[in-house]
Amino acid sequence: MAPGSDEVIRTEALTRSFPMGSTIVHALRGVDLVIRRGEYVAIMGPSGSGKSTLMNLIGCLDTPSSGQYWLSGQPVAQLGQDDLARIRNKTIGFVFQTFNLLARATALRNVELPLIYGGVPPAERRARAEEALQQVDLGTRMDHRPNQLSGGQRQRVSIARALVTKPALLLADEPTGNLDSKTSAEIMVLFDALHRAGNTIVVVTHERDIAEHAHRIVTIRDGQIASDELRKRPEAIAP
Amino acid sequence: MNFVEGFRLALESIWANRLRSFLTLLGVIIGIAAIISTAAVIQGLNSYVSEKLSNLGKGVFTVQRVGLITNREAFLAAIRRNRKLLPADGRAIIERCPSASAVAWETHATIDIKRGTNEIRDVDVGGITPGILEIEPFEVADGRILAQHEEDGSAPVVFVGNDIVERLFPGIDPVGKDLRIKGRDLRIVGVAAKKGSILGFSQDNFVKIPFSLHRKLFGTRRSINISVQAAVPEDMETTMDEVRTVLRARHHLEPADDDDFTFLTAEGINTLWRSLTATIFSIALFVVGISLVVGGVVIMNIMLVSVVERTREIGVRKAVGARQRDIVLQFLVEAVLLSCVGGLIGVAIAWGLSELLAAYTPLPARFPSWAPPVAFLICAGIGVFFGIHPARRAARLDPIEALRTE
Repeated sequence: MAPGSDEVIRTEALTRSFPMGSTIVHALRGVDLVIRRGEYVAIMGPSGSGKSTLMNLIGCLDTPSSGQYWLSGQPVAQLGQDDLARIRNKTIGFVFQTFNLLARATALRNVELPLIYGGVPPAERRARAEEALQQVDLGTRMDHRPNQLSGGQRQRVSIARALVTKPALLLADEPTGNLDSKTSAEIMVLFDALHRAGNTIVVVTHERDIAEHAHRIVTIRDGQIASDELRKRPEAIAP
Repeated sequence: MNFVEGFRLALESIWANRLRSFLTLLGVIIGIAAIISTAAVIQGLNSYVSEKLSNLGKGVFTVQRVGLITNREAFLAAIRRNRKLLPADGRAIIERCPSASAVAWETHATIDIKRGTNEIRDVDVGGITPGILEIEPFEVADGRILAQHEEDGSAPVVFVGNDIVERLFPGIDPVGKDLRIKGRDLRIVGVAAKKGSILGFSQDNFVKIPFSLHRKLFGTRRSINISVQAAVPEDMETTMDEVRTVLRARHHLEPADDDDFTFLTAEGINTLWRSLTATIFSIALFVVGISLVVGGVVIMNIMLVSVVERTREIGVRKAVGARQRDIVLQFLVEAVLLSCVGGLIGVAIAWGLSELLAAYTPLPARFPSWAPPVAFLICAGIGVFFGIHPARRAARLDPIEALRTE
């Protein structure tokens, strides 16, 4: 079946297995998932459920053992390393639990990083990075290094880095896992705002209250989708 | 990612680990400094020798019993085989070589000379026929050189080098004074201009006396060196052939026999000298090459450590879109830059060293202008050769594994 034009993610019978010693671990056992543009989806599941494996596949960091995956309408399941790198660069913005900022670089340089690999010329790069930092309320902290920033500020730098390429998909892996509850709430407010601004967001989490910010909660158990719960109708997207 | 970005990243990384970078580079620094210093000394010596040899007039050659020989066995063999050259040989050349415009000869002895409480050791006493001064010009500082009538009359006169004046006549004008050599008082007629020293050997520790007097004082059994000026300097070969024919006949050599004498020309000395220094240089190059290889391996090692330390950074870069070639470029540029920084420091040290050597030692070191670009090429080569393996290892890291690293 041809993927629809507003589908950001479509997977069909996606599996992923790893050799583990003499046995083979089936981390994903056939996942069919469609996420449309403008959706805000939480992927939940206990550890070992396969949600991290699914996130790596969705994020084009890994390739499936079998099955198909279209990202923004483009089949990516069989692509090689460098093609995947290009797609990660253009299409996906990652937000990690541990922020994963470059310690020696300023906030601005960190946000510029994806644009460097995207071949954006320096002047434009800087302008876009500044814009992204302002979008996450860090316009005054651009020259700070990660160790001069609080945990919440660091996570906002990493969100700016994810947004700076204007990706089709914002993919967050336990974005509040290293933050206290007050800061977590602030970050989730930011995600809500980004969703309202039209971004497609997938948050991988094992915390129910974080997942409840999303409009749709997909629960993974034993490598398969156990439930797919629509909490609210996704907001209409401007054409 | 382009080159400028890679360069900037590499600079940041090297600067962030300054001490480690410097220690890593010691091998390269020492290697480059050593090779360029050696080259500086050799280049200095070469140009010094060329300069000195150019004093030897064009079309001039010397006939000697033993040529320039660089090993003891060959020297002893030549001493056994070759007949002494005698004044009769010189006179035969004068008579029978029409293309020689001037012929003169010199013989040598070494003695210690005392004057009052002062003594100077190992003075080279040269017995010359005055014609030699026309063939090999002598700069005179004071007085005059020896004259033909003094040779004809075995006059007790002497022309002295600067060391003799400094050591035996401190603060005294020596011209007109006597100098006692082999029990004879010889009148000093002139003083040579100071020549300085080569490799610590003074060039001023000599006296010249008439050849005929030399034979009276030191005996008639010494071999002579015959200097010949070709009438047509461009056609020195013809003159050499004439001299060869005369000497072979006088020495009763069969056609199959080798010459039992040697021609020495400025060009020949220069060639020998250069082949000698080239050998020294290639040995130095080999030894230093080892140090550069070690330096390269150290760079590779530190780059491998760096890749491990920065696994997570590599993971982040790959996650946001770095391709394998971007990562390879980043680490390769870093290795090359690291190595080139070492080369730069090495060049700077070599430059300082050759200036110091030239200023404070007898070695006429001269910093070679080709050194910086060549050092740069060598270091870039080392960086690429030893950097490619760590760079590829970094590029092949799995992004998921890399992001998971603590």
